[in-house]
Amino acid sequence: MTRIHVHPGAAVAEWGPVTELCVALAASAAAAVYLLTARRLRRRGDTWPWARDAAFVLGCGAVTWATSARPPGGPFTGHMAQHLVVGMVVPLLLVLARPLTLVLRGLAPGKVRLGLLRAAHAGPVAVLLSPPVAALADIGALWLLYRTGLLAATHENRVLHVLTHTHVLVAGLIFTFSVCQLDPVRRRWSLTARGTAVLVVGAAHSVLAKGLHGAPPPGTAFATHDLRTGAQLMYYGGDLIEIALAVTLAVQWYGATGRAHARRSRHGRGADHAAVAATRSDG
Amino acid sequence: MTSSPTGHGPRREHRKSLAAGLLIGMAVMAATDEIVFHQLLGWHHFYDRSTNSVGLLSDGLLHTAELLALVAGFFLSADLRRRGALVGAQRRAGFFLGLGLFQLFDGVVDHKVLRVHQIRYGVDVTPYDWAWNVSGLVLLIVGCALTVRAARRDGTRRPTA
Repeated sequence: MTRIHVHPGAAVAEWGPVTELCVALAASAAAAVYLLTARRLRRRGDTWPWARDAAFVLGCGAVTWATSARPPGGPFTGHMAQHLVVGMVVPLLLVLARPLTLVLRGLAPGKVRLGLLRAAHAGPVAVLLSPPVAALADIGALWLLYRTGLLAATHENRVLHVLTHTHVLVAGLIFTFSVCQLDPVRRRWSLTARGTAVLVVGAAHSVLAKGLHGAPPPGTAFATHDLRTGAQLMYYGGDLIEIALAVTLAVQWYGATGRAHARRSRHGRGADHAAVAATRSDG
Repeated sequence: MTSSPTGHGPRREHRKSLAAGLLIGMAVMAATDEIVFHQLLGWHHFYDRSTNSVGLLSDGLLHTAELLALVAGFFLSADLRRRGALVGAQRRAGFFLGLGLFQLFDGVVDHKVLRVHQIRYGVDVTPYDWAWNVSGLVLLIVGCALTVRAARRDGTRRPTA
């Protein structure tokens, strides 16, 4: 692979004003729909915590920031900051807002709602949302991006650049969605399966980050200092998101175990199995 | 708070208390390593070019597992506490066992067997290795002593949790 000289600034994704505007409009529209639906739910008496509204709006704002801002630091560090926001922070914020639950509750019974429910419960969707497949889609794409000539190619081709970042966002969403399991889907996975997925993806992410510290993605020539700062940002930034995912899972477990204990104290002994079952289904 | 059916108050869970302390202890030592030796002192290198892929993979797995252990340890602890089942002495013992186990594992497996990175570069590393592993061993011994004492204090050599 020939080394392409990368000008500072040119390496950070040049999104182009049209793409930036499209992303900003789509994010604003999504946030508006969310807020309006949440307001409708609250007006009819449903409980819908404000923290979810805040998470969703923050997520939409963050995706807009990632496409339009020029983060400080070298081009690779800037790219990595965008990558962390698009691939991990935004998905977590959006998933914590439980958008599917909101939409299903907000839609009146009818064809649209039924169609959405059918899609959410469809077989292929269940496969895609299973932790092993979601983990592979997420980390496999990252591996392709940084360990093949793909990153260098995205600097040359804007369409490829937009497609790659869209994939990073979508794969991040699918992974976070499947691991957190906050929205109603057909197949429920155990805490162990989801925890293992976090462990495997987290480990692969840190191996990739350490590898980038030593060797740049093929076809790129970032300054050594920039490359190392970007790799460390990837490593420690990944840690923060991983802790956030682990806390999300732990809170589910804590709630499910608490309910199981409460049942046990009501019904006396013999509810140990209920605790396990509750962790499986709720957590 | 759950009362045991025999009416002796909440059932105290010894092994789970020890496990919670162990998880937190290992994660705290790993975090200390990351913060003090990688970031503050700058002795450990983030990436050592001589590390092979097995070393890199085990490092990545261990690092990720530590973060999960920290969260798991705290939530396990919180669950035991709300049920009144937490045995403080056991958790303390587990904490020291975790500190020692991680320090020894890091010193022997990571530094010497897999050679993920060394304690310090550009100096004779032998005294550093000795200090590292002996301190790990001391912490482990303290942990064992505390475990024995905790078991004696409760008068149950064989914990029932």
